[in-house]
Amino acid sequence: MYRFAHLSDCHLGAQKQPELRELEFQAFRMALDDALENNVDFMIIAGDLFHSNIPNMETVKRATLELRRVRDEGVPIYVNYGSHDYSPSNTSMIDILETAGVIEKVVRPIPGKKLGLEFTVDEKTGAKITGLSGRSRALEVDYFRNLDREALEAEDGFRIFLFHSAITQFKPVDFAEMDSIDLNLFPRGLEYYAGGHLHRRGCYLEEGYGPIVYPGALFGSYAGDLEENARGEERGYYLVEFREKAKTPQFRVIRPAEFEYIECDVTGKNSQDASLLIRKEMGEHDVKGKVVMFKIRGELSSGRTSDIDSAWIRRELESRGARVVQINRHGLSTREIQKVRVAESEIPALERRIFREKLAGVDIRNKSLMKRGDSLAVELLRKLENEIAPGEKKEEYERRVIEEAEAVMGVNLDDDNR
Amino acid sequence: MEIAGQIIGGETAAVLIRQKSDEPVELGDLLVAEGDGYTILQVKDLKYRSQIPQGMRELASGFNLEGYRGDVEFLEPELRNYIIAEARPILHVRNGEPMLPKRLPGFFREVRRIRDGDLAFLEKPRNPVFLGNVRSGSKVLETPVYIDALDAITHHILIPATTGRGKSNLVKVMLWSLADMDRVGMLVLDPHDEYYGRNEAGLGKHPSGNVVYYSPDAPVGGNTLSINLRALRPEHFEGIIPFTQAQEQAIAKYHNCYKERWIIKIVEGEKLSDVKSVTLSVLRRVFDVILGVYLDEDTGEIKSRGGVFRDVGGESTIKDIAGHLEDGKIVVVDTSRLMGEAELLVGSVISGEIFRRYQKYKSTGELRRKPVIGIVIEEAPRVLGKEVIERQGNNIYSTIAREGRKFNIGLVAITQLVSLIPRTVLANMNTKIILGNEMAQERAEIIGSASQDLSDDNRAIASLDKGEAIVSSIFTKFAVPVKIPLFEEFIESTDHEDEDEDIEFIG
Repeated sequence: MYRFAHLSDCHLGAQKQPELRELEFQAFRMALDDALENNVDFMIIAGDLFHSNIPNMETVKRATLELRRVRDEGVPIYVNYGSHDYSPSNTSMIDILETAGVIEKVVRPIPGKKLGLEFTVDEKTGAKITGLSGRSRALEVDYFRNLDREALEAEDGFRIFLFHSAITQFKPVDFAEMDSIDLNLFPRGLEYYAGGHLHRRGCYLEEGYGPIVYPGALFGSYAGDLEENARGEERGYYLVEFREKAKTPQFRVIRPAEFEYIECDVTGKNSQDASLLIRKEMGEHDVKGKVVMFKIRGELSSGRTSDIDSAWIRRELESRGARVVQINRHGLSTREIQKVRVAESEIPALERRIFREKLAGVDIRNKSLMKRGDSLAVELLRKLENEIAPGEKKEEYERRVIEEAEAVMGVNLDDDNR
Repeated sequence: MEIAGQIIGGETAAVLIRQKSDEPVELGDLLVAEGDGYTILQVKDLKYRSQIPQGMRELASGFNLEGYRGDVEFLEPELRNYIIAEARPILHVRNGEPMLPKRLPGFFREVRRIRDGDLAFLEKPRNPVFLGNVRSGSKVLETPVYIDALDAITHHILIPATTGRGKSNLVKVMLWSLADMDRVGMLVLDPHDEYYGRNEAGLGKHPSGNVVYYSPDAPVGGNTLSINLRALRPEHFEGIIPFTQAQEQAIAKYHNCYKERWIIKIVEGEKLSDVKSVTLSVLRRVFDVILGVYLDEDTGEIKSRGGVFRDVGGESTIKDIAGHLEDGKIVVVDTSRLMGEAELLVGSVISGEIFRRYQKYKSTGELRRKPVIGIVIEEAPRVLGKEVIERQGNNIYSTIAREGRKFNIGLVAITQLVSLIPRTVLANMNTKIILGNEMAQERAEIIGSASQDLSDDNRAIASLDKGEAIVSSIFTKFAVPVKIPLFEEFIESTDHEDEDEDIEFIG
């Protein structure tokens, strides 16, 4: 019996707070350690190893050391791009690590009328791995549509299909607005489908397919993920045993820290009473050594939302030994100020909603731009977020940003126009 | 001016026109009498007339039939024997403005056949849904006929016809226009899987990419129809599946106790103290038969026949479909593999979700920014029939028929049997696209509930050929006769080029 570990959505470098960034990295190290202790023959990371295609160099350095440690143990790591580490010019950190021989990218197209994919054969186990990368807004759907499924289905052996997309049928109801791909676009009958992108774990046994598995986020990249952690969502990776077929995958919980979730509904209270309620609520929770996710929601009957002093709440909780405190007050409003409704708690969805609202108010004749404008803007924003890399000259950085923006927008600005 | 005839008498309801001998006039022909603008008349009936007494005609016929042919012929037969057309003035046009005719055209006035220019007032609306071209008898004019999608859909559309008269073809032609618009979302519940066109011409070929297809067995590019049992609520079954009072109470108890897992618990046979075992057994059987979900006694797992209603997966399908509709897309749901009730249930769940959303949008003032939603329902009496409503109470479709307009939701109801639908519902269907119908009772119901006076169109409706229709709507000045093009030919004539883009692979 062979074994492999299936991780996804590590999002290294996502957290900005040093303490959370440390925990994020710790989760990654713990998962690798646990997999090695379980004598895996290889590992799969189904996209979004990093939070950005050119991440912070400190993050890269630490991740590389960990990945090399695994490789030095004789355990290969197979990866694809996730929507976050995707690069239209194959210059993602994933590519650099692959060039350095630390990981192996398994998305390898075969030229032809249809999109053929070459299998990467794991030397030790003979497992055949292939798949597709993820792109933002499920743009990879075009690849799926053109995929030569028959060729993949005709291959024999233990086959793993790696992907980084939500599958329509398995989207949780609260992810309904997420772009997704129907299962009928996937090749049938493969022995294992290693998924990423959905930040919630799930293992689906569908007739005619091997297990379709999402490990979910390893730690969580958004406040919403961390809030889910605090509400009891278990994070980790899947350990899979196989010979001809995969046995039911086993979920391995990785918990780098204890979380505590506190929610306080202040509806109908004035800001003073709300503060008292918050104090009372805090008193009922043991926060020592924990990451505390504090959610304040509801409509104050009077007073300003700024009367609810986040700094004070943070100090209070830290004085009681809280390790990290994150306060979510998106759902907090007051009758005195015009209500601003924000339905999304995840940043990309929020950004997209804002762009969509803005687009609706702009007179644009280009219909495709009206349709795709929001995704284009979000994708562009992602590129513009990339910071200057250590050692990179300002001119090089500018050129890189422009090239990436050109790739996103599908335009080619010559030098004269820059 | 090529003369087709001359007005020789009659009254407001039936102007008598003598037909010119070499200009045969047909039932339904549109004729024009000029004078102070012009009046459009429609031929409702045709009769023989002769100057020769009946006895003489019978004698002449005897000569012919019995072999005494010789030179037996009437003197100037085109003068002595002729056809009288009974025509009704349907519209008067003065200075390009159409108005209902309130006076007769000039006596002894010559009439001519209608030309395209005479119908210049039929303008293209802002949100045009193409129905076909104006028809004069069996001749087809160049003038296209449109209805405004937003007006017509929110005021409901009825498409009555007997089988084989081109209902599906008409709906496909209409949907083709609608697929170009982002201000209208259409839900098409397709019990015969004929609209998308898996293997033949269908809406799936629309170049806009605005047609979304759901099927239990979706082809590549379509979406698999799967609905999680947790998405079903007791109210979705209201008026769709008849439950006894005891069963309804049991359902309410399971729902109160287990919330969204209520069906799962029933199927698992989980007992509740105040629900009789026999009631639970019946409910399990009902869900087995209708939804195809049952408990596999060997594994203890809930299994799904057909895979549509299921315990795992399909959680976001209803929200996804509602989202597509809100994006102004056409969603075709293939229900051909479902039992009748299950098909209606699928429609009920989706329509219920849309209705609920739009009620909310109205209360928050967002409704005007949302597209209008139309729901195409085949064999409408299954949910809008008098008996069904009386026996099972109102369902989401009858609610939409009554109240949908307030929330910008409308029905496109297709039926062979109009007589089964209550008058109150028919009266709310403000556009009727009437195709051929041989059944006198059905014609009477259609005529009785039409937006224009079609009292003398009984024969015309009976004689409508395949693809011929009469559009009677509060949004048209008169009942417009149309010829609907064959869908396959129609989509070839629209200048949509196939976009065959090469995909550059990066991954």
